[in-house]
Order: sequence, then C-alpha cells, then structure tokens
Amino acid sequence: MAELIRRALRDGALDGEHAPALTIKDSIDSPFGPHVFNHVLAQLSANILAGKSQSQGIVLVASSWSPSFYFDMLKSREKDVASFQKWFRVLDCYTDPLGWKERLMECGSITNQSPKASNAVRVCKDVRNLDNLFSSILQLGKELVGQGKGRFSVVIDSATEMIRHASISSLAALLSNIRSHDQVSCAFWLLHSDLHEIRVTSVLEYMSSMVASIEPMTRSASGQRGNYENLSLLERNSKTGKFHVRLKRRNGRVRLMSEDFCIEQSGIKFTPRSGDGETISQSLVPKVQFNLQLSEKERIERAKVVLPFEHQGIGKPIEIYDGRQSLNENIENSSTAEKLPTSQDPGKGEIIYFRDSDDEMPDSDEDPDDDLDI
Amino acid sequence: MAASKTRSSSFSRHISVLPTPQIPGIKYGPNGTIFVSSGIPDLDRILGGGFPLGSLVMVMEDIEAPHHMLLLRNFMSQGLVHNQPLLYGSPSREPRAFLGTLPTPVLSKDDKSRDHETEQEKGLRIAWQYRKYFGEHQQNFEGQRDGKPEYCNEFDLQKPLERHYISSQNIDCISLQGSTNLSSFRDRCSTFLAQLPRYDGNITCAGRIAIQSLYTPQCEYSNMEWEMLSFLRSLKNMVRSSNVVAVITFPPSLVSPSFSKRWQHLADTLLSVRAIPDEDKELANLLTGYQDMVGLLSVHKVTQCNTQVPVFLEATTFSIKLKKRRSLVLECLNQAPIDGSSGSSYATSGSCSGSSKTGKLDF
Repeated sequence: MAELIRRALRDGALDGEHAPALTIKDSIDSPFGPHVFNHVLAQLSANILAGKSQSQGIVLVASSWSPSFYFDMLKSREKDVASFQKWFRVLDCYTDPLGWKERLMECGSITNQSPKASNAVRVCKDVRNLDNLFSSILQLGKELVGQGKGRFSVVIDSATEMIRHASISSLAALLSNIRSHDQVSCAFWLLHSDLHEIRVTSVLEYMSSMVASIEPMTRSASGQRGNYENLSLLERNSKTGKFHVRLKRRNGRVRLMSEDFCIEQSGIKFTPRSGDGETISQSLVPKVQFNLQLSEKERIERAKVVLPFEHQGIGKPIEIYDGRQSLNENIENSSTAEKLPTSQDPGKGEIIYFRDSDDEMPDSDEDPDDDLDI
Repeated sequence: MAASKTRSSSFSRHISVLPTPQIPGIKYGPNGTIFVSSGIPDLDRILGGGFPLGSLVMVMEDIEAPHHMLLLRNFMSQGLVHNQPLLYGSPSREPRAFLGTLPTPVLSKDDKSRDHETEQEKGLRIAWQYRKYFGEHQQNFEGQRDGKPEYCNEFDLQKPLERHYISSQNIDCISLQGSTNLSSFRDRCSTFLAQLPRYDGNITCAGRIAIQSLYTPQCEYSNMEWEMLSFLRSLKNMVRSSNVVAVITFPPSLVSPSFSKRWQHLADTLLSVRAIPDEDKELANLLTGYQDMVGLLSVHKVTQCNTQVPVFLEATTFSIKLKKRRSLVLECLNQAPIDGSSGSSYATSGSCSGSSKTGKLDF
C-alpha cells in the first residue's frame, strides 16, 4: 500500500493544524476506487485496533453501500467482532437518505422492514442538510472518544453521492469544518471524478492534503470499445492499474509517488513501479538562464588572479607591451599564465580557458601585427 | 568619453531628479507613479520599484502550496512597519489570528551587511575607464542609510511582528466567511478607501488592502461568479482614485476558465505562484539550488501607469527560496552546468522557437 498514505492517516493531525485529508478518485476507465477505499479503511482500522494510530475510532458516513456491507467487510479482515461497538460508528445515509421511507411508513403504506439496526448505526434521514450531518458526525465521534483529548477519523463513503444532494460549496464547508475540528484526527473520501465537472474535482482536491488517483494501466488510443485489439487492453485494465499519489508537504512542495496495483481474490496488492515514465519537469520549467553569479569560493579565486595592465598597488611600474620589445621578454614579465598552467603559485589564481574548437590555430591569440617591423 | 566632470560640450545629460518623499514607505517613480514596497526586496526590483498606488495586484494561487501566504505576509508586515493603514479580508472566522504570523523586519544584521558592501566596493578592482559609472550606484546606497526607515525591509519569517504594530488602530480585519454576498465587504472597502483619497499634489498617507483567497469554495458567495466580478470591478475603480494598493489572491483552478480569464484581465499586476515537486531528480539536475527552492513565482503582467510603453522583463519566472529559512528571496532560475561529456546539451533549455524538443539547429 502507498506507505505515505498509511503513515499520514495513522499519524493524524498536529495540534493547531488541520487534519490530513485524502481524496481517492477514480473514473470509469479504472473503477477500482471502492477497492482502494476499502483497503485504506481496513488498514486504518487495523492500526486503530493495534493502538498505533492517533485516532481512536472511525465514524463512517455510508452512502453507496449499506452499513452491513462494511461490518461484513471488516469482520472478514479483523477477527475481533465484538469490539465494533468501541471504535466504529456508521452514519447510515444509504437506507433512507431523503426520508421517503419514513414518510411512507407514517402514511402506513409500508411496514417497517428494516432489520434491527445495531447500536453502532445511526440513520440519517436528510442528507441535504449538511449542518445536521456535521453535528451527527460529531455526536457519533464523541460517543467514541468522549469529551477529552481523544480523536477520531471521519470517513465519507462517497463524496459523489453527497454532491448529488448538496451544493459543492456546502460540501466544501462541511469538509473544512471536519478538518479543522479539534477532535478529528484524519479524514478521507472517495470521488468518481468523471461524474463531475473539473471544477468540483478541483475543489475537493483543494480541500484535501493528499490526492490519490487511480488510472488504467494503458489508455486505449482510439477510445473505442469492443475491438479485438482492445480486448487484451480491457483484460489488463480490468485487473490492474496505476496508483498516483500527490501529497502536499508543509514546506510547500508536492510529493509525487506512483505504484501499480493488482486486484486479486484476497484484495488489492500494490507494487512499486519499475519505470519512471513521463518527465514532469518539462512542463514545469520555463526558460532558464545560465548562472552568472559567483559562489563565495569562486569569488575568492577570482580575487587572486592578477590582471594584466593594472596598477597592482605594490610599487612596481606597469609594463605595457608597446610592440617594441620582443615577445620573449614580455612573456617572462607578465605574471598571468594564460595558456600554460605552469608553475602555480598557491597564492595566485589563474584564468583557464577552453578553446571553442580545435580548429583554431594555436597562434591566433597573438596580435597579428606583431610581425610588422616598424 | 573622458572621465572629466567639466562640461566640454553643449550637450549635457538630463538626469531627472525625483523628489524625496516626505513620508516614509513610499517612493516616487517615473510618469508620476508612487510606489509602495511589496515587502520583498527582490520583487520590488523585478517590478521596477514596487506596487504603484492605485493599482490592483492579483496573485494566482496554486491549490497545492501556500506560497501566496508568504507574499501576503510580507506585504502586510511592510505596511504595518511603515504605519500604513491596512484592511485585511480573509475567509477564516478569526482573521485577527493571522496577524500573529506576520514576520518582523530583519534589523540588526542589516547595517552590518551594508558596511560590508561598501568595503567590498572599495576593494573592487575595476578597470579605470569604468569607474565613472560606478559613482551613480553609490548615490542610491547613500539614500537608504540616513537613519530614516527604509523603503523596503527584509523580513524574518521565523519571528513574529512586534505587538505594538499589530495592536495599532489602523488595522481592519474582516472575515468573509459568513457573508452571503459581497455587498457588506464592498461597503467596508469603500469606507476604508474614502479615508485615503487621491488628489493632485501632496500625498499624506498610503494604505494597503490585502484580501486572502477571495474565492474559497466554502463561502456561499462563491457560487455567484458574476457578482464577484462586479465586486472586483468596483473595487478596482475605487482603488484607482485613492492612494491604496490592493493585493488579492485567488485560486484560478477552482473557478471556471472563462471567469478565471476575466479575473486575470482585471488585474493591473498579475503574479502567480506554483508548487514544485519534492525530491524530483530531474529538476535537481536541471536547476541549481533546487534543494533550497520552495516554489516558483511568475510575473505575468506589470502595471502600466500613465504610460503607453510596455514593460519587458528579463525573466518572468523566479524561484522562491528561503534564505537561511527566514527571509524570502526570489532568484532567476539558473540552469545547472551541463556535463560536457554527455552528448546532449541544451536538451531542455528554452530554445528560440520555445519548444523543448532537441533539434539539430538549436540556438
């Protein structure tokens, strides 16, 4: 499993900061969001039972699957059934989200057919009122951890379902309230990104500190389905896929991570990726310039170089080559070693240059008028 | 030309002398503009002096990084240090709490570094014919060490601003959380701006408006995009006729693309901040100083006040670094030295055509 996510959710929130929040998003091309969601939920509950995590309980807002599904799923992974009461609460938005069944029962049209709900489940009759939903979540959480310093995790089954009934701004307000509450340790939710506008997905990513996206292993080029060539692609995409995580770090950088996953009978397995694939730096880096600044070391070295034709301040008269003396004397007198790195005085710096091309004649640096005899 | 100071010809170079401002914290610029500092010395230098009074500065946020807060903090601190009235709007419920995170100016080391510089200048060995140009530079440095408060301070992000700055009367904090529409906020802005009108002639005081994340999804008014645009337009008009600079940040990816474009067009100065990936080996190889970088800042538009001449910048993207983890510096992106032994050079640098593919003829 993406270790980053597991660790971040396990460690939870620091005092005074928002709780870490994860958005899991998938699409129809790789519809394994629920698998990943269940996997993350199972891992978090394992950590809670083992006492390793900051969070002491989970409040699950179930909209896409019934609470009994979650109980069964967790029972199959954890052997400790009886302790559900201590650390797990479900806000049931699946059975009767808009309160229709209740109204029908009041009219007497139907009888109460729902099985006896356990104490761990509270039914929500109106998912459109997100303020009430928030207070229900808090009440369930307080049942788990009490009034003190304890913290609990909030898990939202499907943010897509909630957006069906409420506006994105009220959902954003709910998530922001959840994250900033003192007793919430961490939160995560599932989103089907192709069911919404890009804006909605961006808003949910803005509200979260980690984004996990599930993508197919290979995208079909033409997008057509049912072709013979695409069958093998479909075959591959139906069991495997890519898992990308973007984590917002405190220093403002974004940590990127990719893994491959494979759906098996026992669950989902993650394997680290072999190849790197696309380079992101291409899009990020604009025109760069060359470094014209000097580091401290370079500055010191430059200061040591004795430049020609300059008053060094040591009392020696400046000797300027004026074409009358012979070349040999001049080379003797000048103190910079231009071409030949000969006896190096440790106190002196030197200018070493590289020729532009090897075609240049070795004598081209000299004054072409040298051989004039005037 | 000879380096003599006596006039040898009838032509003399016109050096426009700008009046020294009476009140601290502002600077006169060309074409009758008055600048206030952004709080970041590098940014002032890039923008040609600072933020001009009467302009609207927009910072486009990146939803993955909080760098726009760094810009806002420095901007607000600079205003408080210069005793300029400040209006701060924020989507949080307790905007006053943010004032506790404002940085304090770096004081003690400042003088030391200045003296060091002058000594270095004396020891600087430049060829004799260039010495005459260096005199102009000296004047600029002199003006800032008179004992008056500096135009632009360097801020230490690790130390909070002193209490007496924050508890002064001229700070107005407004929370945008509960408001269903922006009309009450607009009224508060207009009362603030009415205190600092602009007349021809002397300027008595400059003010600052800082609005953090004007568009946040959890605020109810964010559903009404046209209302937000009309608020921005009226704010821009009010700011134009007063001695105030307004800095507004917003996340463009959360707004629909057409509205994002309209917001950007409303800005006089447009900046954007971007996050960079962490531990990215490619970027580390490409850029020098990648380890110290926190993000990228791009300058998209610079205010053109009272002039038709457009501003061309040498570079539009800069790296945001925290020098010694305390103060914000902006640097040009520098390409790391390319290893000459490897075959491909200029592989990802910008070529003339702007494409990043390698070609045979890549200049």
